[in-house]
Amino acid sequence: MSYEMIMFLMFGGMMLMLLTGQRVFGAIGFIGSVFALWLWGTGGYELGFDASIKLLNWYPLLTVPMFVFMGYMLSESGIADDLYAMVHDLTGGLRGGLAIGTILLMVLISAMNGLSVAGMAIGCSIALPEMLKRKYDKRMISGVIQAGSSLGILIPPSVVLVLYGMIARQPVGDLWLAGVFPGLLMATLFLVYIVVRCHLQPELGPILPPEERSVTWQHKMVSIAKGIPALLVMFLVIGLFLMGVTSLVESSAVGALCAVGLAAWKKRLNWPVLEKTLLQTMNISAMFMWIIMAALCFGAVFDGLGAVKAIKSIFLGDWGLTPWQVIWLMILSFILLGMFLDDTAMLVIVAPLYIPLVGELGFNLVWFGVLYTMTCQIAYMTPPFGYNLFLMRAMAPKDFTLGDIYHSIIPFALIMVAGIMILMAFPQIATWLPEQLMRK
Amino acid sequence: MDELNRKVGRFSMIWLFGLLFGILTYGVFTDVILRTPANWAMEMAQFTMAAYYILGGGFSLQNEAHVRVDILYGRWSPQTRARVDVFTSLLLMFYLGILLVGGFQSVEYAVENNQKNFTAWGPPLAPIKIIIFTGILLMFLQTTAIFLKSLAHSLKRELP
Repeated sequence: MSYEMIMFLMFGGMMLMLLTGQRVFGAIGFIGSVFALWLWGTGGYELGFDASIKLLNWYPLLTVPMFVFMGYMLSESGIADDLYAMVHDLTGGLRGGLAIGTILLMVLISAMNGLSVAGMAIGCSIALPEMLKRKYDKRMISGVIQAGSSLGILIPPSVVLVLYGMIARQPVGDLWLAGVFPGLLMATLFLVYIVVRCHLQPELGPILPPEERSVTWQHKMVSIAKGIPALLVMFLVIGLFLMGVTSLVESSAVGALCAVGLAAWKKRLNWPVLEKTLLQTMNISAMFMWIIMAALCFGAVFDGLGAVKAIKSIFLGDWGLTPWQVIWLMILSFILLGMFLDDTAMLVIVAPLYIPLVGELGFNLVWFGVLYTMTCQIAYMTPPFGYNLFLMRAMAPKDFTLGDIYHSIIPFALIMVAGIMILMAFPQIATWLPEQLMRK
Repeated sequence: MDELNRKVGRFSMIWLFGLLFGILTYGVFTDVILRTPANWAMEMAQFTMAAYYILGGGFSLQNEAHVRVDILYGRWSPQTRARVDVFTSLLLMFYLGILLVGGFQSVEYAVENNQKNFTAWGPPLAPIKIIIFTGILLMFLQTTAIFLKSLAHSLKRELP
């Protein structure tokens, strides 16, 4: 049987398994181990287990539980409430002001956290009830929270970029810096959309009643001052890492410590909070790591088949694509796969196949990493499989129907596609900052 | 079966908290002693991490923490779900079974040859491999419990 046929069977089998609703890691791992046995007989036994040993030596993954812990601790610590109060006071007077404020809040949260789950938790528990109370449109609320929190994987620190850095052998510092401007660009595009849309349809995001708007100048200053601890956390986590004071894993540990410290300072550090945070950390880390482990097994089979060469010959030889068409095709395949597959699994399975080709075609791998991450952001929100979608459904009040949640992402997904196009047209947006700061 | 389930759950739960605290203190520890670099600290943290998520696996299964693609699954009746789960749990057990076989071979090799990690510190690999093996075994048992539960559930409604 030809290799292409085997690859096709593997992907087809995986999709089918995923559709049965079995846990994602089980679906991927089962297909991986079946094909390993089929192709290599008894020699295929160890492939799955070897993945766990490989993971053991990928020390940057230590950042995963640390960042997850940090995110939940921050959302429990009440610092997010302070930040929200700050943006609330500053933007409340505008049309759609609370939606704008939510995006700004998400940018701040993203800069303290590596995943989107914490942003979702904060968005749903703090911003959502406020906007609902002010009669904001449900679809606007749901879209803003999902899109905003997806920035968490693009703005440093970012766990997705850590994983990408390991696979593509690119420095994480460069990748993080490269994510800054695209992240801000994306946030700006969201803001522009909200402002324009709310201007055209004021009923989507009504202005706050006058008595709530008349916030005194001193009051504004006080609420800005409350945001200072957040800036401090950002500096300690990202700043020290970029300055070379702490290593990557250490900076995530510093982050976790900061979060505990903040919680203690806010007097929110008690056993129920700690227990809840620890439980969430356990669940998410275990899910994350088991998926990567299964995906590594799956990827190892691909690797053994020589899939890298096969893909190259199909793209460049059989189809005769230009380099840019190859990139477009890759992005398209990420979006399609991302609808069914978890982003980490996708990264572990597909990235090793694509990255050598991307490098050979002369593209910047740091830039490609940012591009990939932006595509993941879309994947986080698009049905049927998307983390933010799941979380939104689990956390939103009952009167948010599935239709509301699905519809809410359409404009934001389109904006993200626009963001990806802009980044393709102007790669400098991503590459400029790391070149300025890291090439000294 | 419920007894087994609870036992496995309790077991993972105790391990989970202990190890989580372990890794956290370790993270702090490596940072505090930053000025006197200890090459074993990072490696020990890696081992702790592996033990943490592998041993926590069974517990996270019990908590239903693992994501699924629910485009179809979410629309099925509980009974259909149980029936499909009976089938797919078997496939999951197959994967974990392969992991166990491979793990057993790997552990055997590590113990017999006194295999060491290729680092400056060079700790023996057998203990962590045994821990990972145990974690996978717990995961396997948990999946078996899920399988039996689904089986019972799918049969209960069918029989009058």
